[in-house]
Amino acid sequence: MAITSPFSYPEEIKDKFIATPGLKFKDGSTVSSAEIWEFMTKEAPRRFPYAFDAGANNMGRFSDDVHFLSGIKRGYLTLTLKDRVMKQHAAGTPTVLVQGGQAMDAYYAAGGIPVRPGLVMQWARNMEEGLSLRQSETLGLNILESGRRKISIDACNQIAAHAAIDNKVVPIDLIAPFLCLRCSDMSFLVETHRNRVHDIPRYLVDYPVDHENKPWAAEYIAVELRELIDKIAALSGRKITDEVLFDEIKLENRGRRIATEIADLWWGAENPPTNSTDFFGIAFLANDFVGDPVAAVDLLEQSKKEIEERIQNNVKGFGVPDHAKRLFICGSCVGPNAHHAQTAGAIFVGRDDSWSCISVPVQEEGDPYLNIAKSMLAYPYEQRTEKRAEWTADMVKRSRADGVIFMYQWGCNYQSGVARMISDIVKERAGVVTTFVEVGELGRSEATEQSTNRVEAFIEMV
Amino acid sequence: MSVKTLDVIRKRLEERPDELRRARENGLKVVGWVGYNVPEEIIHALGFIPVRIAIGGDDRLVEIGARYASSKTCVFIREIVGAFAENQDPYIQQTDILAFDATCLQNYRAAEVIEYFFKKDVVVLAVPRNFHLDEAKEYFAHEANEFTRLLEERAGAPLDSARLAESVALYNDIRKTLKSIYTFQASKDNVISWEEVYDLIQAGDLLDKREYLSLLTQTLDELKERQHHPVIASDDGDCRIFLSGSLIPRGDRKLIGIIRSVGGRIVGDDLWSGILPHLDLDIKEISPAGVALGYLNRTPHAALPYLDLESDRRLKKLQERLSEFKAQGVIYHTLRYCDPFTFKAKETKNVLAKSGIPLLEIHTEYAGSDYEAMKTRVEAFVEMIKIKSEIAEEQGVLVDA
Ligand code: SF4
Ligand code: SF4
Repeated sequence: MAITSPFSYPEEIKDKFIATPGLKFKDGSTVSSAEIWEFMTKEAPRRFPYAFDAGANNMGRFSDDVHFLSGIKRGYLTLTLKDRVMKQHAAGTPTVLVQGGQAMDAYYAAGGIPVRPGLVMQWARNMEEGLSLRQSETLGLNILESGRRKISIDACNQIAAHAAIDNKVVPIDLIAPFLCLRCSDMSFLVETHRNRVHDIPRYLVDYPVDHENKPWAAEYIAVELRELIDKIAALSGRKITDEVLFDEIKLENRGRRIATEIADLWWGAENPPTNSTDFFGIAFLANDFVGDPVAAVDLLEQSKKEIEERIQNNVKGFGVPDHAKRLFICGSCVGPNAHHAQTAGAIFVGRDDSWSCISVPVQEEGDPYLNIAKSMLAYPYEQRTEKRAEWTADMVKRSRADGVIFMYQWGCNYQSGVARMISDIVKERAGVVTTFVEVGELGRSEATEQSTNRVEAFIEMV
Repeated sequence: MSVKTLDVIRKRLEERPDELRRARENGLKVVGWVGYNVPEEIIHALGFIPVRIAIGGDDRLVEIGARYASSKTCVFIREIVGAFAENQDPYIQQTDILAFDATCLQNYRAAEVIEYFFKKDVVVLAVPRNFHLDEAKEYFAHEANEFTRLLEERAGAPLDSARLAESVALYNDIRKTLKSIYTFQASKDNVISWEEVYDLIQAGDLLDKREYLSLLTQTLDELKERQHHPVIASDDGDCRIFLSGSLIPRGDRKLIGIIRSVGGRIVGDDLWSGILPHLDLDIKEISPAGVALGYLNRTPHAALPYLDLESDRRLKKLQERLSEFKAQGVIYHTLRYCDPFTFKAKETKNVLAKSGIPLLEIHTEYAGSDYEAMKTRVEAFVEMIKIKSEIAEEQGVLVDA
């Protein structure tokens, strides 16, 4: 059986890479590009071999476009998350479990590090080093199964993050996500912690559904946000003023703005300037901030410069197929494998979930609590489904997509419930083909045939 | 041990769809409501005919529903969606307006799917997750006003406070009478079974409210006449089962039938399709917000998360009812993909184990394929309880001797 050699960055790009700026962090420290290079070519392959597995089934595989240098730095931020969070945690920074697709401004401003379930699992898997992809997945699956045994087999794989917290694989100081942004499982999973031996404090920030033209919804969230910030600040010891909040809002707004500017540039380009992995990685940075908004925004700025240069020189991202079929991806917590799609002749040109939060900046004057609340309530993804689908159709047109795939996880009730509805509306309004796919693999890269086949068949049809 | 009024009620239920059709021909409108915190008195006071849409037990409809709302939606909601797709249910056929609440997010999704695919006129009442906080109550008061405004638009007239007071009084009487009747089924030498009372409660979802109250009163009078002092206690050899968990709507009698067939006697429930929504509803102010808050302040539905186990009112209520009805074991019914109840099954089992009450979780769908497996498990559970109580009795005898 042929063994694929691990992925590595070629020596010939080293000089060019280390001539680029390093990264700045929120604690004032910096890392040079030479140090990043050392980490990504020596230390990381040794500590996290799974991440360098070049098999096409590796969902977290790095981008093949090694000449897109910001992509290497993005890999660095992802792989150093564990070290950075552990270090800050040891110095007294509280870690907070949050929900995906929600604003992080309040959490960072209050001196915490918000981590959503996906990042918790990545962090948990990285707690053991030297693992191959298979070993790392087995570790993740064992955590997942322990959660399913304790709670329910009906849960989506977010349950793994809660089990990782329960089993003390990662230290979380506060469980305080927004409910019910996009998700039905989160609230019940948070609730299960009340029946555990650990005594991690918990708080829920209610995010009401069906909130259009209802000013009382924003007022309700704003009151809860104050309480949330007080709770985090009590753990971090930080004194919170409106000014502190606005500073964070301005920083994260900058990230959101750069990401939307990149998307506009990217969509307008004759040739896609990056492949799908790098394009989606950008949205992710502005949505998640990977534990450090200062570093994430710094990297977004660098990414934008590179993309501008590529567009000026009409450079196509490495791996983007000729006459690629342009696919828009819908749904939360799961997406198709970019490498498989690329091989089948497609590129991903947008994603409703991540782009939704980025598309709404927070007002920078007035009451910061109310402003955050209002901006979150304006997320297109969280509107009534018909309105959300109309926005999606608009995004599909703007990104010149040829087809739309709505994906949802096994066990996901809330998103799966409207998969067909959104697909139908987008098909009608944007005039493109759509499909919806359930992903039942629950984190197993070796059992992806079913969803991969469906995606590939769809690409062929497009 | 037949109670005569129950036959009248069965007959009236058969006639009801036709009656609704005639009422609509005369200009009245039917509001079908789906959910757990829909303040029905507001619908009633606006002159609409409220009908609860809660059906289950039909796997074929579940299949149809899954085509619109995915196979990962709970079985109950899939059936509801399937029933709207098929449009054969005599009550669904008679609805002019639908009112959904968002207590459970899957219910909210059903509202969206039904509105879009089947072009229904849908009104939604959002419900706060942090239901116990003052700010959540304030939010819900606004929601209740908005819900009322949307219904007023459809009624073509504003809500009259005097009529709301009348509706509240009527519903309060219904709840009070139901509670009295409920005691009889759990008594020694009972003349009405839990199953009959359960059907009686669900009849109220469909019948005209004034007539329903009068039928309940007749039922209660009949019961009082036949059993002067109902005492909640065991009959010889009883295995007293309490039913908890996901709702069991009309049309779904699989588990209930199994319990009876293996010799279990159901003596109580805290189902949202049973007595629970009728308990502890205290409306302090005659206004849309006052009524809605009365609903929200009841024992909370499992879809509303609560983060402290010790002070959880839902669990407290369960324990209180178990002791009141002298239940010996709990059968905890969870529907496939009903996360609100399923995720709490093991926790509830642990909590009850501390007071020596065994719990059996039955995780099921509407398909008949698990019937035998369910029966075997329920039978073993009932046997276990019987043996336990025999041993306890023997020990009691020895101690007394
Ligand atoms: S997959 Fe669905 S249910 Fe699970 S965390 Fe994501 S949105 Fe929530
Ligand atoms: S509580 Fe359970 S049965 Fe009821 S709508 Fe929600 S998921 Fe379905």
